[in-house]
Amino acid sequence: MGMKVKAKLKNGVINVKAMAKHAMTTYNQAEKKTGDRENANFITHISATLKSSGDTVFDMSTSQFLSKNPIFKFKFKGAEKGDYVLMTWTDRKGKTGKGKGKIK
Amino acid sequence: MERRKFLSLTLGALALAVAPASVRAEDYRKLKPTVWSAHTVNDAIKNMYGTTTTIEEGVKLSAPKVASNGGAVPVTFSTKIPAKTIAVFQDANPEAAVCVYSIGKHDVTEYSIKIKMGKSGTITVVVEGLDGKLYSAKQTLDVALGGCEG
Repeated sequence: MGMKVKAKLKNGVINVKAMAKHAMTTYNQAEKKTGDRENANFITHISATLKSSGDTVFDMSTSQFLSKNPIFKFKFKGAEKGDYVLMTWTDRKGKTGKGKGKIK
Repeated sequence: MERRKFLSLTLGALALAVAPASVRAEDYRKLKPTVWSAHTVNDAIKNMYGTTTTIEEGVKLSAPKVASNGGAVPVTFSTKIPAKTIAVFQDANPEAAVCVYSIGKHDVTEYSIKIKMGKSGTITVVVEGLDGKLYSAKQTLDVALGGCEG
Protein backbone atom coordinates (compact mmCIF):
# COMPACT_ATOMS: atom_id res chain seq x y z
CA MET A 1 0.00 0.00 0.00
CA GLY A 2 2.67 2.46 0.98
CA MET A 3 0.63 5.16 2.71
CA LYS A 4 -1.92 5.81 5.42
CA VAL A 5 -4.09 8.88 4.96
CA LYS A 6 -6.49 10.45 7.46
CA ALA A 7 -8.60 13.44 6.42
CA LYS A 8 -10.98 15.47 8.63
CA LEU A 9 -13.20 18.35 7.58
CA LYS A 10 -13.58 21.09 10.19
CA ASN A 11 -14.87 24.62 9.61
CA GLY A 12 -14.39 24.35 5.86
CA VAL A 13 -10.78 23.17 6.16
CA ILE A 14 -9.69 19.60 5.52
CA ASN A 15 -6.88 18.54 7.86
CA VAL A 16 -4.79 15.66 6.55
CA LYS A 17 -2.31 13.49 8.39
CA ALA A 18 -0.50 11.03 6.15
CA MET A 19 2.26 8.55 6.83
CA ALA A 20 4.38 6.86 4.18
CA LYS A 21 6.11 3.56 4.82
CA HIS A 22 9.67 4.17 3.66
CA ALA A 23 13.15 3.63 5.11
CA MET A 24 14.33 7.03 3.77
CA THR A 25 17.94 5.81 3.68
CA THR A 26 20.41 8.67 3.29
CA TYR A 27 23.60 8.49 1.23
CA ASN A 28 25.66 8.38 4.44
CA GLN A 29 23.50 5.63 5.92
CA ALA A 30 23.78 3.58 2.69
CA GLU A 31 27.54 3.98 2.72
CA LYS A 32 27.79 2.91 6.37
CA LYS A 33 25.46 -0.09 6.03
CA THR A 34 26.37 -1.39 2.56
CA GLY A 35 29.52 0.42 1.48
CA ASP A 36 27.69 1.83 -1.55
CA ARG A 37 26.18 5.32 -1.60
CA GLU A 38 24.01 4.32 -4.55
CA ASN A 39 21.92 2.15 -2.25
CA ALA A 40 20.48 5.37 -0.80
CA ASN A 41 16.77 5.49 -1.37
CA PHE A 42 14.25 8.00 -0.17
CA ILE A 43 10.99 9.59 -1.29
CA THR A 44 11.68 12.43 -3.74
CA HIS A 45 8.15 13.54 -4.55
CA ILE A 46 4.75 13.21 -2.92
CA SER A 47 1.38 14.64 -3.87
CA ALA A 48 -2.32 14.44 -3.11
CA THR A 49 -5.33 14.88 -5.37
CA LEU A 50 -9.08 14.91 -4.83
CA LYS A 51 -10.97 11.94 -6.21
CA SER A 52 -13.90 14.15 -7.24
CA SER A 53 -12.10 16.68 -9.39
CA GLY A 54 -8.55 15.40 -9.81
CA ASP A 55 -7.34 18.74 -8.40
CA THR A 56 -3.97 18.68 -6.66
CA VAL A 57 -4.24 19.68 -3.00
CA PHE A 58 -0.68 18.91 -1.91
CA ASP A 59 2.61 18.75 -3.80
CA MET A 60 6.02 18.35 -2.24
CA SER A 61 9.53 17.63 -3.55
CA THR A 62 11.54 15.97 -0.82
CA SER A 63 15.02 14.86 0.27
CA GLN A 64 16.85 12.23 2.31
CA PHE A 65 16.36 14.47 5.35
CA LEU A 66 12.76 13.61 6.10
CA SER A 67 12.46 11.06 8.89
CA LYS A 68 12.06 7.34 8.34
CA ASN A 69 8.37 6.47 7.72
CA PRO A 70 7.76 10.17 7.14
CA ILE A 71 4.67 11.97 8.38
CA PHE A 72 3.05 14.75 6.37
CA LYS A 73 0.47 17.11 7.84
CA PHE A 74 -1.26 19.57 5.55
CA LYS A 75 -4.52 21.48 5.10
CA PHE A 76 -6.66 22.52 2.19
CA LYS A 77 -10.08 23.94 1.30
CA GLY A 78 -12.69 23.14 -1.26
CA ALA A 79 -13.81 19.57 -0.71
CA GLU A 80 -16.77 17.85 0.92
CA LYS A 81 -17.15 14.95 3.33
CA GLY A 82 -17.24 11.68 1.46
CA ASP A 83 -14.68 12.78 -1.12
CA TYR A 84 -11.28 11.06 -1.08
CA VAL A 85 -7.74 12.36 -0.77
CA LEU A 86 -5.58 10.22 -3.05
CA MET A 87 -1.85 10.27 -2.35
CA THR A 88 1.16 8.99 -4.28
CA TRP A 89 4.86 9.09 -3.48
CA THR A 90 7.79 8.35 -5.78
CA ASP A 91 11.26 7.48 -4.55
CA ARG A 92 14.74 7.90 -5.90
CA LYS A 93 14.69 4.46 -7.50
CA GLY A 94 11.38 5.18 -9.23
CA LYS A 95 9.20 3.04 -6.97
CA THR A 96 5.80 4.44 -6.02
CA GLY A 97 3.49 4.06 -3.04
CA LYS A 98 -0.15 4.99 -2.79
CA GLY A 99 -2.80 5.58 -0.20
CA LYS A 100 -6.18 7.19 0.17
CA GLY A 101 -8.29 8.67 2.91
CA LYS A 102 -11.98 9.47 2.98
CA ILE A 103 -12.77 12.98 4.13
CA LYS A 104 -14.74 12.58 7.38
CA MET B 1 -5.10 29.78 -43.50
CA GLU B 2 -7.47 26.91 -44.25
CA ARG B 3 -10.47 26.90 -41.88
CA ARG B 4 -9.86 23.30 -40.82
CA LYS B 5 -6.24 23.95 -39.95
CA PHE B 6 -7.20 27.09 -38.02
CA LEU B 7 -9.80 25.16 -35.99
CA SER B 8 -7.41 22.36 -35.07
CA LEU B 9 -4.80 24.89 -33.97
CA THR B 10 -7.36 26.63 -31.74
CA LEU B 11 -8.45 23.33 -30.21
CA GLY B 12 -4.82 22.47 -29.56
CA ALA B 13 -4.34 25.75 -27.72
CA LEU B 14 -7.49 25.12 -25.67
CA ALA B 15 -6.29 21.66 -24.69
CA LEU B 16 -3.11 23.19 -23.28
CA ALA B 17 -5.04 25.86 -21.40
CA VAL B 18 -7.16 23.34 -19.54
CA ALA B 19 -4.35 20.94 -18.64
CA PRO B 20 -5.23 19.12 -15.40
CA ALA B 21 -3.96 20.65 -12.18
CA SER B 22 -1.70 17.67 -11.55
CA VAL B 23 0.28 18.50 -14.69
CA ARG B 24 0.98 22.01 -13.37
CA ALA B 25 2.40 20.76 -10.05
CA GLU B 26 6.17 21.06 -10.07
CA ASP B 27 8.71 18.39 -9.24
CA TYR B 28 11.54 20.58 -7.99
CA ARG B 29 13.89 17.61 -7.74
CA LYS B 30 13.85 17.45 -11.53
CA LEU B 31 13.35 21.15 -12.19
CA LYS B 32 16.14 22.42 -9.92
CA PRO B 33 18.63 19.64 -9.16
CA THR B 34 21.33 21.97 -7.78
CA VAL B 35 19.04 22.93 -4.88
CA TRP B 36 19.36 19.41 -3.50
CA SER B 37 23.12 19.05 -3.86
CA ALA B 38 23.95 22.43 -2.29
CA HIS B 39 25.86 22.08 0.98
CA THR B 40 25.05 25.42 2.57
CA VAL B 41 21.67 27.02 3.23
CA ASN B 42 22.65 30.16 1.29
CA ASP B 43 23.69 28.14 -1.77
CA ALA B 44 20.49 26.11 -1.66
CA ILE B 45 18.33 29.26 -1.37
CA LYS B 46 20.31 30.91 -4.20
CA ASN B 47 19.90 27.85 -6.44
CA MET B 48 16.18 27.74 -5.72
CA TYR B 49 15.29 31.41 -5.91
CA GLY B 50 18.21 33.21 -7.55
CA THR B 51 18.82 35.35 -4.46
CA THR B 52 19.34 35.00 -0.73
CA THR B 53 17.52 38.23 0.14
CA THR B 54 14.46 37.53 2.26
CA ILE B 55 12.11 39.59 4.43
CA GLU B 56 12.18 38.03 7.89
CA GLU B 57 8.44 38.47 8.47
CA GLY B 58 5.16 36.80 7.76
CA VAL B 59 6.30 33.22 8.38
CA LYS B 60 5.59 31.26 11.56
CA LEU B 61 8.00 28.46 12.41
CA SER B 62 8.07 26.21 15.43
CA ALA B 63 10.37 23.38 16.40
CA PRO B 64 11.44 22.20 19.85
CA LYS B 65 14.30 24.20 21.42
CA VAL B 66 15.88 20.89 22.35
CA ALA B 67 15.15 17.91 20.09
CA SER B 68 15.55 14.62 21.92
CA ASN B 69 15.77 12.57 18.73
CA GLY B 70 17.75 13.97 15.79
CA GLY B 71 16.15 11.36 13.55
CA ALA B 72 12.70 12.88 13.90
CA VAL B 73 12.60 16.58 14.73
CA PRO B 74 9.02 17.91 14.49
CA VAL B 75 8.76 21.15 12.49
CA THR B 76 5.59 23.16 11.91
CA PHE B 77 5.36 26.29 9.78
CA SER B 78 2.69 28.49 8.26
CA THR B 79 2.11 31.75 6.48
CA LYS B 80 -0.81 33.94 5.46
CA ILE B 81 1.14 35.38 2.56
CA PRO B 82 -0.22 34.09 -0.78
CA ALA B 83 2.56 31.78 -1.88
CA LYS B 84 3.92 29.99 -4.91
CA THR B 85 6.41 27.75 -3.10
CA ILE B 86 7.61 27.13 0.45
CA ALA B 87 11.06 25.62 1.05
CA VAL B 88 12.67 24.20 4.19
CA PHE B 89 16.43 24.25 4.76
CA GLN B 90 18.81 23.40 7.62
CA ASP B 91 22.51 23.60 8.29
CA ALA B 92 22.83 20.39 10.33
CA ASN B 93 23.22 17.87 7.49
CA PRO B 94 25.63 17.39 4.56
CA GLU B 95 23.16 19.07 2.20
CA ALA B 96 20.89 21.95 3.14
CA ALA B 97 17.56 21.43 1.30
CA VAL B 98 14.90 19.40 3.09
CA CYS B 99 11.82 19.90 0.94
CA VAL B 100 9.93 22.27 -1.36
CA TYR B 101 6.17 22.64 -1.45
CA SER B 102 4.49 23.68 -4.68
CA ILE B 103 1.42 25.68 -3.54
CA GLY B 104 -1.88 25.23 -5.34
CA LYS B 105 -5.20 27.05 -5.20
CA HIS B 106 -6.66 24.70 -2.55
CA ASP B 107 -3.69 24.81 -0.17
CA VAL B 108 -4.04 26.31 3.29
CA THR B 109 -0.39 27.09 3.92
CA GLU B 110 0.27 25.35 7.21
CA TYR B 111 2.40 22.21 7.25
CA SER B 112 4.10 19.80 9.67
CA ILE B 113 6.90 17.38 8.98
CA LYS B 114 9.57 15.47 10.88
CA ILE B 115 13.13 15.91 9.74
CA LYS B 116 16.58 14.50 10.40
CA MET B 117 19.23 16.75 11.88
CA GLY B 118 22.74 15.36 12.27
CA LYS B 119 23.65 17.90 14.94
CA SER B 120 22.37 21.08 16.55
CA GLY B 121 21.65 23.82 14.05
CA THR B 122 19.25 26.22 12.41
CA ILE B 123 16.14 25.51 10.39
CA THR B 124 15.15 28.13 7.79
CA VAL B 125 11.78 28.26 6.05
CA VAL B 126 11.47 30.44 2.93
CA VAL B 127 8.13 31.45 1.45
CA GLU B 128 8.12 32.56 -2.18
CA GLY B 129 5.26 35.04 -2.33
CA LEU B 130 3.03 35.49 -5.35
CA ASP B 131 4.23 39.10 -5.11
CA GLY B 132 7.66 37.89 -6.23
CA LYS B 133 9.28 38.53 -2.82
CA LEU B 134 10.84 36.02 -0.44
CA TYR B 135 9.85 35.83 3.23
CA SER B 136 11.57 33.72 5.86
CA ALA B 137 11.79 32.55 9.44
CA LYS B 138 14.56 30.73 11.29
CA GLN B 139 14.90 28.70 14.42
CA THR B 140 18.03 27.39 16.06
CA LEU B 141 17.79 24.25 18.15
CA ASP B 142 19.89 21.80 20.12
CA VAL B 143 19.77 18.19 18.98
CA ALA B 144 20.44 15.55 21.63
CA LEU B 145 21.21 12.61 19.32
CA GLY B 146 22.47 13.10 15.75
CA GLY B 147 19.84 11.94 13.25
CA CYS B 148 21.73 11.64 10.01
CA GLU B 149 23.54 8.44 10.84
CA GLY B 150 20.68 6.93 12.89
